Amino acid sequence: MRLRRAAFALAVPVAILAAALLAGSAFSSSRPAVVGSGKASAAKSVCGLGTGKKATGSPIKLGAIATKQPGTDFTDIPNMAAAYFKCVNANGGIYGHPISYSIQTEQTNPAQEAALARKLVQTQKVVGLVGNTSIIECTINHKYYEQKHIFVIASGIAPECYGHDTNISSVNMGPRYSSDGAVQYVIRAGVNKIVFDQSNVPGTDYIFAGPSAVAKAANVPIQGFTDTVPIQDANSVALKLTQAAGPNGGVVLNFTPDQALLILQAAQKQGLVNKVKAWGCSTPCNSDFVAAALGTSWDGIFGVNAELNLPSANGPDSALYRQLAKTATLAFGLGSFSQMGFVEARIATSALLNMKPPYSLVRVNQAFAGVRNFRTDILCSPWYFGKVPVHIANNVDRTVTPDHGKMVVKEPCFKISAADPDIAAARVVEKKNPQLTTGKAYPVKGGK
Amino acid sequence: MFPSLVDFKPYVVTGLALGGVYSLSGVGIVVLYRATGVLNLAFGAIGAMGALITWTLIHHTSVPGWLSYLACVVFGGLVTFAYGAIFGPPLARRDPLVKAVATLGLALILLGLMSYLWPPFGRTQLLPSSRPEYSYHIGWAGIDITLTQIVGLAFGVLVTVGVTAFLRLTMLGTAMRALADDREITSTLGVPVRRVETVAWLGSGLIAGAAGLLLSDLVGLDPVNLTFLIISSLAAALIARLRSLVATLFAGLAVGLCTALLTPITAWPSETNYQFSLSSYRGGAPFVIAIVTLLFLARRRVVSVSRTDR
Repeated sequence: MRLRRAAFALAVPVAILAAALLAGSAFSSSRPAVVGSGKASAAKSVCGLGTGKKATGSPIKLGAIATKQPGTDFTDIPNMAAAYFKCVNANGGIYGHPISYSIQTEQTNPAQEAALARKLVQTQKVVGLVGNTSIIECTINHKYYEQKHIFVIASGIAPECYGHDTNISSVNMGPRYSSDGAVQYVIRAGVNKIVFDQSNVPGTDYIFAGPSAVAKAANVPIQGFTDTVPIQDANSVALKLTQAAGPNGGVVLNFTPDQALLILQAAQKQGLVNKVKAWGCSTPCNSDFVAAALGTSWDGIFGVNAELNLPSANGPDSALYRQLAKTATLAFGLGSFSQMGFVEARIATSALLNMKPPYSLVRVNQAFAGVRNFRTDILCSPWYFGKVPVHIANNVDRTVTPDHGKMVVKEPCFKISAADPDIAAARVVEKKNPQLTTGKAYPVKGGK
Repeated sequence: MFPSLVDFKPYVVTGLALGGVYSLSGVGIVVLYRATGVLNLAFGAIGAMGALITWTLIHHTSVPGWLSYLACVVFGGLVTFAYGAIFGPPLARRDPLVKAVATLGLALILLGLMSYLWPPFGRTQLLPSSRPEYSYHIGWAGIDITLTQIVGLAFGVLVTVGVTAFLRLTMLGTAMRALADDREITSTLGVPVRRVETVAWLGSGLIAGAAGLLLSDLVGLDPVNLTFLIISSLAAALIARLRSLVATLFAGLAVGLCTALLTPITAWPSETNYQFSLSSYRGGAPFVIAIVTLLFLARRRVVSVSRTDR
C-alpha cells in the first residue's frame, strides 16, 4: 500500500513534468518563424518591418489592373505582389496598418480599362496602384493618372508605361528594349545580317524602331517580319527566317514563350539551327520551360535577353521571392512575371514605410514618385521613379542561355544600347539626375 | 522582294506535310456531313482536348506512351459518338445551319473546359516520330523532315482511300451514301438510320482524335489554335463541296501548299526598312482559295454545299 502511494506520488510530478514538456514542445512547434520575419541584412531580406506580428490597424488600400484573357494572362504579377503584401501584413504591416490589395482583371477593352481605373480610385478609394500589367492599359489610363496625380508602379508593354511624360514607371524593360538587348547579343556574336520576327499585333512598328536603331548603329542590316499568332505553320516560318538571315546572319524572336518555342522547335526538326550564326530572343523566352523543351542542342547557341535575374539566382531578394512564390497563385510558376510582381510590391512597401501618415492618395503617390536608387539583386541596376520625362529605369540587363534544361547566365549585366533613342533619353535623365541611381540606396525597411 | 525559284523548294515539303493533315481533317468533316448532314465545327476542339489529355497522361502519369496516344484517338471517338447519340436524333430534321451551330456550342464548351483544366501555359507535344533519329534529309529541298510529317501526309491519303473504299464496297458504306442522298427514303427501305449515323459520328470522331494528335506535334499544343484550325480544313471541305473525299484530299493539300508557298514572298518599304511579308496575310489563304473555287463553280452553276431536308 505504502509502495503504491509512493509510486503514485512519484508518478504525478513525472506526469506533470512530461505534460509540461510535451505542451512546450507542441507550443513551440505550432509557432514556427513567420515567413519573411527577422532582421534584414546583406544576406537576408524580410517582408516590410519583419516583426513577425500581424498588422491589425486600419488598412491601406492599393489596387492593380491586369490582363486576363484567352492566350494572355498577366495576373501572375499582381498575384505575386499580393503574396508579398500578405507577408508584409504578417510582419507588422506599415507600422501596424495592413495593406489591402484589390486586383482587377480586364480583357483589352478600352472602356472596361477606363472604368476599372475609376472604380479603384473613386469607388474603392485605393491610394496607390502597384502591379498594373496590361496590353493597352497604360495607353488608355495615363491621362487619368496624370489628372489625379497618381504615380503607378507597373510592368510595361506600351510606350506610355515607360514615361514619355506619363506618371507610370515600370520595373521591366518591355518588348522593345528587351529586343534591343537580344539584337545586341547577336551583333556581338558577329552576324552580318539580322532578321527580327515578332507577333503581328498593334505596336510592332514602335517595337521594331528600337532593334532597327541598334542594328543601324552597328552597321548591320536588319530585316523585320511579323507573323500572325498563334502560329499555324511554324516550319515555314522557321524556314523563312533562316533563309532571310543567311549562313552568317542572326535571327531574333519577340514572341510569347510558347510561340517562340514553336519556331525554335520547327528549326530544330528541319535541321536549320546551324544554318544561321546566332539565335536570340527577348525576355519571354527566359523560362526554364523553354530551356527544358528545347533540349541540349540549343545550349550556348540561343541567347535570351533577361530583364530580371534568373529565378534561381543567389541573393537575399531572390531567396525571399522563391519562398513567397510558394504561397502565391501563379499560372506560370517561377519566372519573370512573378519576379516583377515581387519587385513592384517591395518598392511600394518600402515607399510606404519611408513616408509619414496619413496614407492619403496624394501623399502615397508622392512617396511612390520619390523612390530613387532602389536596389535589389533581381535587377541589374537601381530602380527609380522620380518626376522625370522618361521612366526606363531598367536599362541594364543580362543574356541567358539554355543549359541542360535550365537557363544560365551567358553574359552578365550589360547596358542596353543608347542607339535606341528612348534609351538615350533615359541615360540623359540619369545623367542630369544622378541621385536617381547613385548615392545612398533607398531604405527598404523604413526611415522613421 | 520575290524569292528565287530555289527558295520555294523547302516550302513544298512543309506545305505538303501540313496539307496532308488538313486533308485528314477535311475528310473527317465530309464523311460526317455526307452521312448525317452535320457540319461538325467542334472537330478541331475535340482533337485539341484529346491531345491535351495525351499530354497530361505522358507528363503527369506513368501511363505508357502508346496508351496515352491511343487515348487521344479514343477520346475523339467517344465524345463525337456521345454527341451524335444524344443530340443527333433530336436535331436530325433541323436545318443544316442549326445543326452546325449546335456543334459550335460543343466547340465552345470544350474550349472553356480546356481553359479551365489546362490554364495558359506553354506546352509542347513531340511525338516519338519527331525524334532526331526519325529525321530524314531531303536533298533537293535542303531541309530535314520528320517521320511525323511523312505520317501526316500518308495518313491523309490512306484515310481518304480507306474511307472511299469503305463507302463503295461495304453495306454500311452504301447505307451512308444512301443517307446522304435521301434520309427518308433510306429509312423506309429498312436501313437502320440511327445506327448508321452513329457509326459515322464514331468514325469522324476517331479521325478528329488522330488529326488532333498529329497537329499537336506539327502545329503546336495550343487549344485555341487547334480549335480554329478547323477553318483551313473547312475550306478544303468546301472546295470539295462537302461531297468528294478525293477532292477534299487534293483541296487540303492545295491549301497547305499555298499557305506555305506564300511565306517567303516579301517586299521592302524603303523608308523604314521594315519588311511587310505576304506571309503575314497567308492565314487568309484557305478562304481566298475556297471563295475563288466556289465562285468559279457557281459560274458553271454546279455549286451546292447545303443539304436539303427531305
